[in-house]
Amino acid sequence: MDLLINGRFVPLPDEAVDPAMPLLWVLRDVLQLTGSKYGCGIGACGACTVRLDGVPARSCVTPLSAVGGRAVQTIEGLGGADRPHALQRAWVLHQVPQCGYCQSGLLMAAAALLERQPKPSDADIDAALTNLCRCGTYPRVRAAIHTAAAALAAPRAATPPPPKRAP
Amino acid sequence: MKRRTLLLGAAAAGGGLLLGWAALPPRSRLGDRALLALQAGEVAFNGWIKVAADGGVALAMNRSEMGQGVHTTLPMLVAEELDIGLDRVRLVQAGADAVYGNVATFVASLPFHPRDSEPGRRTAAVKGGEWVVAKLARELGINMTGASTSIVDAWEPLRLAAATVRAQLVGAASLRWRLPKEEIAVRDGVVSHASGVHAHFGELAGAAAGTPAGDVALKPRAAWTLIGRDTPRTDVVAKSDGSAVYGLDVRPEGLLYAAVRMCPVLGGAPQRIGNEDEVLRRPGVQRLVRLPARAGATAGVAVVARSSWHARQAVEALAIDWASPPAGTVDSQAIAASLEAAARDALAQDGGLAYHRRGDVAAAERGAGPGARTVEALYRAPYLAHFALEPINCTAQVRDGHVTVWAPTQVPGIARAHAARAAGVDERAVTLHVTLLGGGFGRRLDADFVAQAVAVAQETGGRPVQLLWSREEDTTHDYYRPAAAAALKAVLGADGRPLSLRIASAGDAITPRWMERGLPWLAGPVDLPDKTTAEGLFDQPYDIAHQRIAHVATRSGVPVGYWRSVGHSHNAFFLESFIDELAHAAQQDPVAYRLALLAGSPRHAAVLQLAAQQSGWGRPSPAGRARGVALHESFGSIVAQVAEVSLAAGGVPRVHRVVCAIDCGTVVNPGIVRQQMEGGIVFGLSAALHGGIDIVAGVVQQKNFPEQPLLTLAESPRIETHLVASEHPPGGVGEPGTPPIAPAVANALFALTGVRRRGLQLRG
Repeated sequence: MDLLINGRFVPLPDEAVDPAMPLLWVLRDVLQLTGSKYGCGIGACGACTVRLDGVPARSCVTPLSAVGGRAVQTIEGLGGADRPHALQRAWVLHQVPQCGYCQSGLLMAAAALLERQPKPSDADIDAALTNLCRCGTYPRVRAAIHTAAAALAAPRAATPPPPKRAP
Repeated sequence: MKRRTLLLGAAAAGGGLLLGWAALPPRSRLGDRALLALQAGEVAFNGWIKVAADGGVALAMNRSEMGQGVHTTLPMLVAEELDIGLDRVRLVQAGADAVYGNVATFVASLPFHPRDSEPGRRTAAVKGGEWVVAKLARELGINMTGASTSIVDAWEPLRLAAATVRAQLVGAASLRWRLPKEEIAVRDGVVSHASGVHAHFGELAGAAAGTPAGDVALKPRAAWTLIGRDTPRTDVVAKSDGSAVYGLDVRPEGLLYAAVRMCPVLGGAPQRIGNEDEVLRRPGVQRLVRLPARAGATAGVAVVARSSWHARQAVEALAIDWASPPAGTVDSQAIAASLEAAARDALAQDGGLAYHRRGDVAAAERGAGPGARTVEALYRAPYLAHFALEPINCTAQVRDGHVTVWAPTQVPGIARAHAARAAGVDERAVTLHVTLLGGGFGRRLDADFVAQAVAVAQETGGRPVQLLWSREEDTTHDYYRPAAAAALKAVLGADGRPLSLRIASAGDAITPRWMERGLPWLAGPVDLPDKTTAEGLFDQPYDIAHQRIAHVATRSGVPVGYWRSVGHSHNAFFLESFIDELAHAAQQDPVAYRLALLAGSPRHAAVLQLAAQQSGWGRPSPAGRARGVALHESFGSIVAQVAEVSLAAGGVPRVHRVVCAIDCGTVVNPGIVRQQMEGGIVFGLSAALHGGIDIVAGVVQQKNFPEQPLLTLAESPRIETHLVASEHPPGGVGEPGTPPIAPAVANALFALTGVRRRGLQLRG
């Protein structure tokens, strides 16, 4: 079977996978896309968050059989050093990550939020980002999402204005 | 008689040698240049620094990056002294030599009272003790990232290593250009003279490495261009695009995956496995390896398969008969009751080990005049798990008598020793790569999982194997923050000021257990006093004339370990809640009450005043909210926090805002200090509101996040951090943010409800 991942069709050898295998382990152990993380295995922590047709999904509890033809986007497909997503720019500006392990999942959840709600309130962010971060980056995550939202609303601005003090 | 004389003579000679050794200056921490492996064109200067042909610098990184920012702050020290851009300092893995060991942790483990060990008022006993322990620690060379010591430990040696290289580069330029050293400048990685001659580091390195450094001086504070500046972290881009490599992300060629199941009863072991053959026949499954109880881990089994998921499915399907430990099982409720009894008894009978004594407590209590009041309270705290978001894992390969390990570890030396022992090889046959850590918080000061990974890798025919614990295994086989109890008693004079303070706390000693697991050659037959569980009670600054602060070290049988801020994590809650009780009994403002006890501690008073002032202390809180304050010194830094709290539906505390002030001495990177305060507060708040591990008949009851919630973004308060400008030597920042938050919230809840909560967690 083929999976549509980050805009490319990727063939999956049948003998390597199982329809019950969660997408997370297909990404990490079969395709070597290690940006999506394992944290709890029960969809509770969000470290494994990817997007399926734009909708955030906990890939550790999403069996391969449930992905079907939907487009999978992982952190590797969000943006890169050459073309960072507005959220990634904001992450750098606010110096969000500490250990960084949960950040892929947070970024994917935040990207989905901004497409759905280009100008989210604090309450919107609280409701949408149920990912767990053990290092306590939450206040900066919130601030960075607001910065990214502002940058996306004014696409002409090269870089968003720096905050007075992070976060 | 003769034999006795001989023995005495030998003892005298041995003692003399020991004294002689103790009097010698400590071994240099510059390190031999031969310690660094070189690539083409590179030149090593000492054990820390090498220069590439293009003039870039490489630093041997001896500390683990687990979020606290060492991959940014340690190279900042080097870039500062070398006058080269931070982006031109590359990190390479430090090796096994003792020069990379942690001296500061061992010096800090001495149970001195801060009033005897603060800069400027160190007593002779403190100076002597620290000198000898620093020498000993330098010889032992135990490499660990913990106890908030990375900057503290690197502060002198790393700057000196870089300043030495700089002096050598200037010396070489002086010889080459026949110009006086004093006229040669170094800027932005270029050595130059006003006449126009210049060279980058790479052009001078070959000659400079052999040039004597002469007198090396560190840059004066006024000349710093990097230290103290809000410098962006070097790891943020990789941690925002998925490219950062944690332990779980290494993918060596031919990698296999292993899943682990340990006996659910702590200390138990697997016996018969009913369906081993059937499970091993499943697609993708390769083999089963029995894991002994080694390096502190409970015994279990591992299944090797072609993916982590295949391995997990298979190991879960095994029908295993488990045997309970012969020593019996542990029960957290019974332990809590015994700790409370031990604390009460020690308070009443002058029991436990007195870590601090001042004046005469008994006489002060007897002699208290009319109007004196006695306040007594018993406090308690539960077991806690670490919950690093990256579950325990390790990757290992055993091939042709050589072991390669990729480990997210805080203790590379211990990890290497475990790997060597598990494979039956010499430590020199082990190559260890320390990956990024998806959180450490003290859990990765144990390296039991390295022994497991190597044991499995011995059975895979030379192929590398990645061993992963499920979240459930991670939670149920942690080394827990010990449960603790403390009995406190103060007598207040008619003016409300405490005349005397007695504290007796009880809890399991951590260090002796940790040494048994990781450094068995250092673990003695008898437990030495362990400061790490007593800290935070005996070492606080309040000026109370009569004190007896004691601790009863217990041994419950629960595997206990270091948890971010260790003893301070519960002791700050005990003491700072109790001080609040005293202020209330004295009918005084909690900030003013504390300030009156801090006349001799101006740094503490300044931190407390800053937090109070920035929080609006003394002005009315927003409707439905109340403020609470706490002040606590730990790991060489002083932190005060004011929490603004309300009660949500069902009596659940909601923390809206935390104002934090810190004096951590000289600040290397203010942005990272603020980040660590935020992290420490969220970590402590998570425990204060949700934390608690229960053990019934040896089985940990909480297994995954639904049973043991962590603080969420929605629950996260607004956090404002204010730094006190200071020229003291740097203190730690990774842990000091955690201790004050629980008492600050508890004190706010008291202000809000009039109900004093003396146990954690604070919910309900």
